[in-house]
Amino acid sequence: MNTIFRLVVRTQLTRGRAVALGALGTLAVILAIAARAGADADVNRSMHDIIDGLGLAVLAPVTSLVLASAALGDLAEDRTLVYVWLRPLARWKMALGALAASLAVSLPFVLVPLIAAVLIGGTGGDLLVATIAGAVVAVTGYTALFLGLGLRVKRALVWGLGYVVIWEGAVARTARGAARISVQVYARSLLAAIADYAPPRQAASVGASIIVPIVVVIVAYVVTVRWLQRAEVA
Amino acid sequence: MTAQAAATVEFAGVSKWFSGVVAVSEVTVSIGPGVTALLGPNGAGKSTMLRLLCGLTSPSRGSVRIKGRDPRGDPDVFRDIGLVPQQEAVIERLTGRQFVTMAAELSEVPDAVSAAARNIQLVDLEPGDPRPLKAYSKGMRQRIKVAAALVHEPELIVLDEPLEGLDPRQRLRMIELFGRLGDEGRTVVVSSHVLDEVERFGSRVIVLGQGRLLAEGDFREIRDLMDDRPHRLRVGTDQPRHVAAGLLAAGAVVGARVDATSVLVDTDDVRAFRHSVAAIAKDANARLLEVVPLDDDLDSVFRYLLARRT
Repeated sequence: MNTIFRLVVRTQLTRGRAVALGALGTLAVILAIAARAGADADVNRSMHDIIDGLGLAVLAPVTSLVLASAALGDLAEDRTLVYVWLRPLARWKMALGALAASLAVSLPFVLVPLIAAVLIGGTGGDLLVATIAGAVVAVTGYTALFLGLGLRVKRALVWGLGYVVIWEGAVARTARGAARISVQVYARSLLAAIADYAPPRQAASVGASIIVPIVVVIVAYVVTVRWLQRAEVA
Repeated sequence: MTAQAAATVEFAGVSKWFSGVVAVSEVTVSIGPGVTALLGPNGAGKSTMLRLLCGLTSPSRGSVRIKGRDPRGDPDVFRDIGLVPQQEAVIERLTGRQFVTMAAELSEVPDAVSAAARNIQLVDLEPGDPRPLKAYSKGMRQRIKVAAALVHEPELIVLDEPLEGLDPRQRLRMIELFGRLGDEGRTVVVSSHVLDEVERFGSRVIVLGQGRLLAEGDFREIRDLMDDRPHRLRVGTDQPRHVAAGLLAAGAVVGARVDATSVLVDTDDVRAFRHSVAAIAKDANARLLEVVPLDDDLDSVFRYLLARRT
């Protein structure tokens, strides 16, 4: 599993991806600086909006999508999965190594700029804890979902973006039933609850915001393992 | 020990189709220790058969067994399999040593780093080469794939067109290596669409065409079978009618068609034809300009075997 972890970290983090995701994270920092500098603005409200609207709604899903879908997806796409797949390694270990590697790379790309933004905003410890909790929930949930997606479909980025924009960004924000199967809703609910802001539309309870993402991760992981077991490897 | 008991690989009525297109059809064959060449033209189903053999894809019908085990059912089977896939792709960001060490670690080889270095040297590459694999030539990539396939000392070694991209000296070295592995009692399955290449393996041959098993056995038997088929040749001459008449009268050909500068002939015995054609031309006071086989390529051999089978 350690070998898979190292391999995935090495292959998924290309220079292009690092620059693009780094730039996206920097945007949060720039917005925080602007919010702090704006004399008339409600810094507390602005900081929450940055974390909620940019951090959890854009930075976390996009970063997770780009990196997790590439973890096994890049190997499948360039036909090098065979060098890993044809080894006596249990598929659950393979998937776990790839999941751990994706989290290990994704979390810093999301947490570091968001924590920096909160610190720059100077809005206190609650928002910092809430940001960390919300981001961890979002990144973990999305990473588990997109890990299998990369393995299963071609153009996983397009499908994943479609899911993030259409389902999570539009449908789940308006339809209560859809909101129950949206990672973003749970992450945003947790952020609002811990930082004591007004809950988002279709908000979930704190308990559900912790338990449901864990269930999502487990189910997505099991599905990924099954797909690995049944994969038709080129 | 019976041949069946000694078999490392067993295909039983295996078919594989993709979206209605049949890639492998009703193949039943056993492969035991030593070198076995899988011969067939491009599109014959060789790569699909090797993928089935390694468990990279499931048979649509029938079963594949490696030492009695289903390669799709248990990753532990892969301790016994080393594959050199046909595709040139390798994990380009790794160095050769990292690539082979990764293979060794995933196969739980003790002291993976040393095992990797040994196998890289075995294929005449330098273990200390710091370049990533994207900087490797096609031949170097092919050899590093061989090193990765051998690093865990598998009992079954599967090589899909392994000589592609290698220069003549490297080809010779690889053929020697595969022969040595076969002599050690390992089961080596090599696919190729080049008849002469297979001849140099000096091995048992399985001939595939259009996804079907056309022939199997010792290479010499297959070669004889190929030589015994009807051949078509063009005989260039300044007296095509006289030469055609002479060839038919001597029984050297079974059919002849004449045009302005040549005779198109069919013969059942190409060796006898080659021995007699010059004398017949001389007797007919004709100049023999050329004798060109028109169907000596591998594809025509496979077409013949396929027609013979049906």
